[in-house]
Amino acid sequence: MLFIGFMGIGTTLLLALLWAPSVSINAFESPAAQRIFYWHVPAAWAAFIAFGALFVGSAGWLFKRSEWMWRLHVAGSEAGLATGLMAVWSGCVWGAAEWGTPWDWTDVRLNSFGLLTLLAIYVVLGRNSQPDGVETRDTFAAFGLYGFVLVPLTYIATRIWTIRHPGPVVATGDGSSINSDMGLVLLIGAVSFTVFIIGHMMTSMRLTALEQRLERMQHRFDGGA
Amino acid sequence: MEGMTYLAVAYFGMLVAIALWTWTVVQRSRRLDKRLLAIEAANDKTDASDDSKA
Repeated sequence: MLFIGFMGIGTTLLLALLWAPSVSINAFESPAAQRIFYWHVPAAWAAFIAFGALFVGSAGWLFKRSEWMWRLHVAGSEAGLATGLMAVWSGCVWGAAEWGTPWDWTDVRLNSFGLLTLLAIYVVLGRNSQPDGVETRDTFAAFGLYGFVLVPLTYIATRIWTIRHPGPVVATGDGSSINSDMGLVLLIGAVSFTVFIIGHMMTSMRLTALEQRLERMQHRFDGGA
Repeated sequence: MEGMTYLAVAYFGMLVAIALWTWTVVQRSRRLDKRLLAIEAANDKTDASDDSKA
């Protein structure tokens, strides 16, 4: 899955570079930089999937005490951090080319998504710096649960307040505003990123299971020796 | 054309970054598998020597 997703992402970028139509020179300051959108939008989409997994995993741990759900929390936070950074970084590159500034502190979409990524950084680094235990898990699961409120806020931000970040171009309710070739490349990108991030989360969940098994065996071995 | 060159470099950099991320995850998984096998082998040896003592 990881390999298929990765190949899909490579294909998307190749199509974006060589095949996708150019945008109007009059409508954009930097028409070439607009093609970063084929990376930025699917990465942000994958980040929402990862943050969704983080939310479900956190709730599952807090309310069901399920080990599988804890592994989902770990996988969701790591995938959310990686895809969040991808979306933020690509957005800054585009912003620098198009707006002349990589960031706007007054834009709700930019700042709520930035906060989401910061939350993922805090959860991943914080969890790795603490010994595993019920209290540690409860603390970080609570952050994963309540932090999710930023996801719907980020989603609706450009629908309510269009400050600097462009408004939605697909799933707008009144038909898509982008060219069908552009839409096709974007769709391939979204599917590839989805496959890739699900593959990563599955690998990450397996890793956490292996780490837990290793820890149990080491305890048993040390106790028996 | 200059803009497209920058874009190609940015795309390539991003692809390398996610390839590296994937590679580290796969390597971590392989290392853990090896450590588990080693502990299992050591555990089996200890069990066998305990049995022979008994």
